[in-house]
Amino acid sequence: MADGLVEEWVENARMIVESARAIVPADGALDRVRKARFDGPGYDRAVMAEAGELGLFLMRVGEEAGGLGLGMRETCELARVLGRGLLPEPVLPAIMAGALLQEHMPEAAMKGDQVITWAWQDAPGALTWQGAGRKLAVQGATGADLFAVVSGDGLALLPRDAVTLNAAETLDGGQLCSISYAAPDAQHPCPAAQSVLEDATLAHSAYLLGLSERALEITLDYLRVRKQFDRPIGSFQSLQHRATEIKVSLELSRAAIFATARRFDTGADALTRARGAARVKLRAAELAMHVSREAIQMHGAMGITDEADIGLFVRKAMAEANLFGAPRVLRARLAELLDEGEAA
Amino acid sequence: MKDLPDFNAMSDADFRTLARDFVETNYPDIPRYSLSRLHWEDVKPWYLVLSEHGWICPTWPRQHGGMGLTAGKHLILIEEFERFGAARVNDIGPVMLGPLLLKYGTEAQKAEFLPKILSGEHVWAQGYSEPGAGSDLAAVRCEAVLDGDEWVINGQKTWCTLGMDANWIFILARTDKTVKKQAGISFLLVPMDAPGVTTRNIENLEREAEFCEVFFDDVRVPADYIVGGVNEGWTAAKALLGHERVFIGAPRLSSAAMTRLKRIALRAGAWHDPVFRDRYVALQSDVADLGDLFETYVDMLRDGRPIGADVAMLKIFQSELYQRISELMMEVAGEDAGLAQPPEADRQLHAAATWLSARPTTIFGGSTEIMRNMLAKAILDLPS
Repeated sequence: MADGLVEEWVENARMIVESARAIVPADGALDRVRKARFDGPGYDRAVMAEAGELGLFLMRVGEEAGGLGLGMRETCELARVLGRGLLPEPVLPAIMAGALLQEHMPEAAMKGDQVITWAWQDAPGALTWQGAGRKLAVQGATGADLFAVVSGDGLALLPRDAVTLNAAETLDGGQLCSISYAAPDAQHPCPAAQSVLEDATLAHSAYLLGLSERALEITLDYLRVRKQFDRPIGSFQSLQHRATEIKVSLELSRAAIFATARRFDTGADALTRARGAARVKLRAAELAMHVSREAIQMHGAMGITDEADIGLFVRKAMAEANLFGAPRVLRARLAELLDEGEAA
Repeated sequence: MKDLPDFNAMSDADFRTLARDFVETNYPDIPRYSLSRLHWEDVKPWYLVLSEHGWICPTWPRQHGGMGLTAGKHLILIEEFERFGAARVNDIGPVMLGPLLLKYGTEAQKAEFLPKILSGEHVWAQGYSEPGAGSDLAAVRCEAVLDGDEWVINGQKTWCTLGMDANWIFILARTDKTVKKQAGISFLLVPMDAPGVTTRNIENLEREAEFCEVFFDDVRVPADYIVGGVNEGWTAAKALLGHERVFIGAPRLSSAAMTRLKRIALRAGAWHDPVFRDRYVALQSDVADLGDLFETYVDMLRDGRPIGADVAMLKIFQSELYQRISELMMEVAGEDAGLAQPPEADRQLHAAATWLSARPTTIFGGSTEIMRNMLAKAILDLPS
């Protein structure tokens, strides 16, 4: 960017975010999100159809396969905006399903007429996808029609009636499922599974970044207006210092996510990718929980009511911060990679 | 002075090679990778070599004897010098006073002082803090009164880094007591050998004399040794720093400390301990995240975009991260942590040296607390 030209991805990201305004209100209104909670799958299939119409599920499908072939920077920018709006629909899982399936992505799934999600996780606390027959922590599964399932055998595209769902309600009013299935004989080879998992980890981090960003804004607004002892509580130094601590984490997270996305887009090696994904997810998860704790405390008694919108952010953070690896798991992964770095 | 090539016209890669070759070829026989600042007598050979080649003032314009480097090129120079472990010279003249004179100095002041910074004839100290004016710098009481064509200075300065090596000092002095405290301050230049100037060394926690106090007792300097006008010293002092504010947040200090932490852990048999590793990788992630945030500011410098007050986030996180690394070092070093001398006579293995050297980083150059106050108001828009 030394010559002052705006990089192509910036313009792409701007257009994607603009189109996403159709499903994430620019004014930050959360009425729809609040209504969708604790009702069926916890999301609205019509919004998935709208997202499909906008072409969002084609983002990571290559141009040669009829997709948009956009990069991870654009994807992260979209994910950040979805996180700001606490979008409950499985837009990111559907994008990742497209990334896996490429030219095999069914048209109905591209358009969002059918809801597609993906499944990878082998076991509790695992970051592995090679096992078959049972998958955990599948997002959006309750309302899904199609499942892109990765394993060491390859990639299977399964209809709803080929999987058995075991759903659990999550704190944010959605559902997280484990699925079991009989693996079909015919599967697509899937050399991209590991890199799609890393992309998904990065995109999920960006969702948590957006969530944290908006939760901090709402909290800062409250600090400016809420008065006690005849002063806005935001004038108190202890609260100011704690707020800056969140801000520093937030900017570190943002910088790490977009620098990692740039590395992903410009051809990072396997070790850099593995480390990058784990590192950004580690910070994003800790950030989301950090801002959640402080948001409740700074809102005082309002913070522990269900009616205050800040609670929607807290519950989403709790429901999703540990997806794609809880901090302990991620640090263990980074410790393994320490030795790989040594050997390299 | 040699004829210098147009560094900014070179590619970054070529300039990096040039800087690397320069330091490898020209670095004198003095310590490298020193954890504490070297005194003038030890670091002088390096200063003079830099001076001789025209490399002592990288950011000054070329017509004033500098290298005229852009921020991007300057960063490369710093990176290569640090990679080599080159000692930091007494750089208050090149880094602080020079740019200030270039901006606020008279032509006579520039002609008198800039060449002597370049040659190393003048070694400068900074006289800002006082016993009663640290983070609240505008509270300075050291006083200067105009008597005919001379300023008469009385008072005290403290925490003058390497002040015992300096032969000149610039100070902030109170020249008007009747106005708002920031409005009555002037910026004065004082030779340390003027009658009435005395110094007293202060030993730091490492028992090294790294800074000193300077006392002024009816010290007289010419009236034109004032920079930026009477009562306008605060403005001049505040205008300093520029892209130094970015470089102070560079991850290099912390990443070098991680290398030492690993050596200490290996020596202690802790390197494969999963409890240690859990904490090590968390710090390693922090260093990498800091690197990514630092790069966003470096990009702004390269693109010539303005640096906002939010850059303070870099210094806050960098200095606290360096401290957290030093804390894990102390824990891993076990009983050795308490020893006064480094294990195997290798300071790199001395956890306590890093721990102690990490303390001032959250105090000097704007304490972490002051910076958080400022961020809360300027960036988070929280009320006073």
